[in-house]
Amino acid sequence: MTAVTDLPTQHSAHLTAGAKAALITVIVGAVCLAFEGIAPWLAKWPAAWELPATQWVGAFLDWFLNLIKPAMRLFSDMMTYPMNWANFVLGNTPWPILIGIVTALGWYLGGMPMAALGFLGLSFVLASGYWAESMNTLALVAVSVPVALILGGGIGILANEVPKVKTFVQAVLDVMQTVPTFAYLTPLLLLFGFGPVVGLIASAIYAAPPMARNVMLGLERVEPEIKEAAIMSGGTRFQQLFQVEIPAATTQIMVGVNQCLMAALSMVIIAAVIGGFNDIGWEVLLTMRKAQFGESLMAGLVIVVFAVVIDRMSGTLATERKRYDSRVVWAMLGFAIIFTAAFWAWLPNPSELTLLDPMAEAVDSGLTAFTQNNGPWLDALKNNSLFYVLLPLRIGLDQAVLPFTWGFQWTAGMSYGLFTVGAVITLLMAWRGRLTGGLIVLILIGMLETGIANLPWPFVLTGAAALGWVAGGWRLAALCVGLLCTILVSGLWERALLSLYLSGAAVFSCAVVGGLIGLASAVWEPVWKVVRPICDMLQTIPLFVFLIPVLMVFQIGEFSAFLAICAYAIVPMIRYTRHGLVNTPEEMMEAAVSSGATEWQIMRDVRAPYAAPTILLGLNQTILYAFAMLVIAALIGTTGLGQSIYLALGQADVGLGISAGAAMAILALIADRIVQGFAEERRAALGL
Amino acid sequence: MTDATMPAIACQNLWQVFGPGAEKALTDALSRSGNDADKAASDLRENGFIPAVQDANFEVKEGELFVIMGLSGSGKSTLIRCISQLLPGTGGEIRVDGANVIGASKKALTELRRKKLGMVFQHFGLFPHMTVAENVAYPLRVQGVSKKERLARAQEVISLVGLEGREDSFPRQLSGGQRQRVGIARSLAVNPDIWFLDEPFSALDPLIRRQLQDEFLRIQATLKKSIVFITHDIQEALKLADRIAIMRDGKIVQIGTPTDIVLRPVDDYVREFSKDVAKGQHAKVASVMRSEAECGPDDPGLTTSMTLDAALAHCMELYEPVPVRDASGNVVGTVHPSDLASALQVDEA
Repeated sequence: MTAVTDLPTQHSAHLTAGAKAALITVIVGAVCLAFEGIAPWLAKWPAAWELPATQWVGAFLDWFLNLIKPAMRLFSDMMTYPMNWANFVLGNTPWPILIGIVTALGWYLGGMPMAALGFLGLSFVLASGYWAESMNTLALVAVSVPVALILGGGIGILANEVPKVKTFVQAVLDVMQTVPTFAYLTPLLLLFGFGPVVGLIASAIYAAPPMARNVMLGLERVEPEIKEAAIMSGGTRFQQLFQVEIPAATTQIMVGVNQCLMAALSMVIIAAVIGGFNDIGWEVLLTMRKAQFGESLMAGLVIVVFAVVIDRMSGTLATERKRYDSRVVWAMLGFAIIFTAAFWAWLPNPSELTLLDPMAEAVDSGLTAFTQNNGPWLDALKNNSLFYVLLPLRIGLDQAVLPFTWGFQWTAGMSYGLFTVGAVITLLMAWRGRLTGGLIVLILIGMLETGIANLPWPFVLTGAAALGWVAGGWRLAALCVGLLCTILVSGLWERALLSLYLSGAAVFSCAVVGGLIGLASAVWEPVWKVVRPICDMLQTIPLFVFLIPVLMVFQIGEFSAFLAICAYAIVPMIRYTRHGLVNTPEEMMEAAVSSGATEWQIMRDVRAPYAAPTILLGLNQTILYAFAMLVIAALIGTTGLGQSIYLALGQADVGLGISAGAAMAILALIADRIVQGFAEERRAALGL
Repeated sequence: MTDATMPAIACQNLWQVFGPGAEKALTDALSRSGNDADKAASDLRENGFIPAVQDANFEVKEGELFVIMGLSGSGKSTLIRCISQLLPGTGGEIRVDGANVIGASKKALTELRRKKLGMVFQHFGLFPHMTVAENVAYPLRVQGVSKKERLARAQEVISLVGLEGREDSFPRQLSGGQRQRVGIARSLAVNPDIWFLDEPFSALDPLIRRQLQDEFLRIQATLKKSIVFITHDIQEALKLADRIAIMRDGKIVQIGTPTDIVLRPVDDYVREFSKDVAKGQHAKVASVMRSEAECGPDDPGLTTSMTLDAALAHCMELYEPVPVRDASGNVVGTVHPSDLASALQVDEA
């Protein structure tokens, strides 16, 4: 029997776990601040204590990669066959036939709406003049997706069949999804050299985990009685798996196929930064670098069109499908062939089509006019956000407040004053019985004064440990400290703090703004009607494309990166907040109404607490999204780990690339576990 | 191949213990307690194991309808899964047609399931991606029976359960009662000797449940399978069973005929079950009959298979013992009307 351990905590301590953790953090922070004059190593991890971990990782990986290089080169040589073949087929099929095929496929999968989507989407691509580039991208996707499906499906089935490896596989999948996409590229570059095969393999690796996850989940969720019925029917394990369990899990597996396709597309486009392949992602990058934002936007739109078409069409696989008349399919294909045969001589070469060029030019000139007319206003927005919000957050009030921007110089006296105000607030709140809250206010004030990038390392470790301890007990606290220490000694600490600052700022903004939008969508249906398609769209767009619009308006810089991260990471916050709030059980609402609660009271006392675990999960997703985007945003100017990863790619420095990628993954992992811990605690408290 | 006295299923000292290293824990616990099952079970519980089935001993005769009854969590579902080897069984023996199935090879089990066993599940366990006919034919498909042959056989059993015309429907298009008919048909497709039914009617609403119970009895009357039937419903158990085993916390507390269970409960737990059962409708005259020949002048025409209610209705005004006849009309004993009345008294437990 397990002993009953959760007796009410003894009141001798007079402190809740949260208060204790906050108190320790405050003390450590205060000690660091007080003694940083005498012992500078408290504020800044001395370079002498750093281990050349990056070099070690580099040396090891160089050795390892050289070891497997022959096998990998063989593999890549093998992959060139299907790739050349796909390229040839897609590149040489007349465009009316391809449009016909996609339209017919759309009809077969989803009837009229999907057929229309396919037709209009591909027509847009044709008109844009990026047909050839698009087909190159599509060829990469077409080859990498089957590889990813087989790989992911195989891993999923293996994990299902061998319970012993399941935990391991799950851990690896977790890590693979937190390691930033760019970090994959550097070692692949070393293995395969420049060229499309790197993009192909990177996207296959990147797209396999969602497939594996969904296969595992789907097989796990097959009703136990269905599995038992298969056993009792006398099937062998092979028959049970392939005749019963996998077909019964089809819906979930199709969700995996959909996610796999989207991931592959996204990665193929990201991999364009390596270059060497004339695809649509490269086109975006090229035009972006030449500041031809009209063309860049057009190429970006082509990517979005592909993403939408692929997503919506493959999405129908995961829903219960109606059968559509197959005669229509044949009619469409037949028409396409006849059309091609009849008009072949007059058909224009798709690469020479410039139907949308005027539009691109109009966008370009319109943009120039817009930025010129609104220059002062936009600059003010950008500069104010930078000088009064982002910079203080980054380097602290004590360094950010300068006569040049703020109109006065920050003095030591002001710091003392600020801390005194903080202490008074804490005491007042403690007196009202809210000690934990007061201590947190004090911690936040301290962080604002110091700046996230300048936080003393003992304070960060203590803070992470304290959060980990409250969220998930000693094990989580130890995990946080252990992982952070590896960053600390590897010499990536400062860059990690910079990454933490930018993603932290973005996550905070997303949490506030996204939470409010979610709230509005939950209480007011029309808002959701508007917000929902925007969210759908933002989640379909490949990461890369987010950079274009912010770059157009705000040029290269941290503020643009910040906006791009926010635009991508805000979606889960909105969705989960609304979902949590809307899904309050009807009975609970009725109980609240019959108790005489007002609308606002119901929101505050019933719906919000009930939604808390869901909202926390949304926050968790937002954090992971922000980290994913952080690396991509390095393309348009961020500092920190993202930049290191990007630089490493340029210099083919595997050690730096992988170490910085790992550091990034560690930050994401810690944030993920802590927020999950809080969500779990809330769920348990609600008995869910 | 089997002699007439051999039971279809025989369980001896059967244990199913959950927890890491359960097998060793069970052996240790049994040796510590000197083979006392109760002590071993509480020993296992203290060490964090879950003894879901403890020392089960029973036999199911050929053609017998054996019902295992208990509340949820009493271990009845675990027990049937041990016998059908969906769970491995931690200790003891299960003999199916004389051969021990615990520790049997995978291949032997698959063979056994293909030829001899059929099972019906509480939530039907139908394959959602197959039509009714494909579901029913599946046990034949895994054996490699040709499509034509297996669909013909499927048609037979589908007619047996009264689902003609729904062969091409998918499970999601059927009502609960129809789905369970498919489940029953599928379990009968290979014409098994032994039929497991795990709460087959519990998920159905009361009217459909009664209808299916009656049909089940009709099917059993023609097929004469050896049946292990799980239920938590005492009325269902009494209605269907030849014999009933009552389970509680992993232990079989009583095995007996429906009359035994109602009239001679071994403890308060069993008595509690039979409390809300109208005994007169289930207990037979035979259960209160005496063998003494002395009887009074009246002969109201009682037979051994009459229920107590019916018998009492015949003896309302009588105070002397009356004769009881068997099916062929021979007097086999006597019954005192006061015994009839006192047997019907509900115990105040």
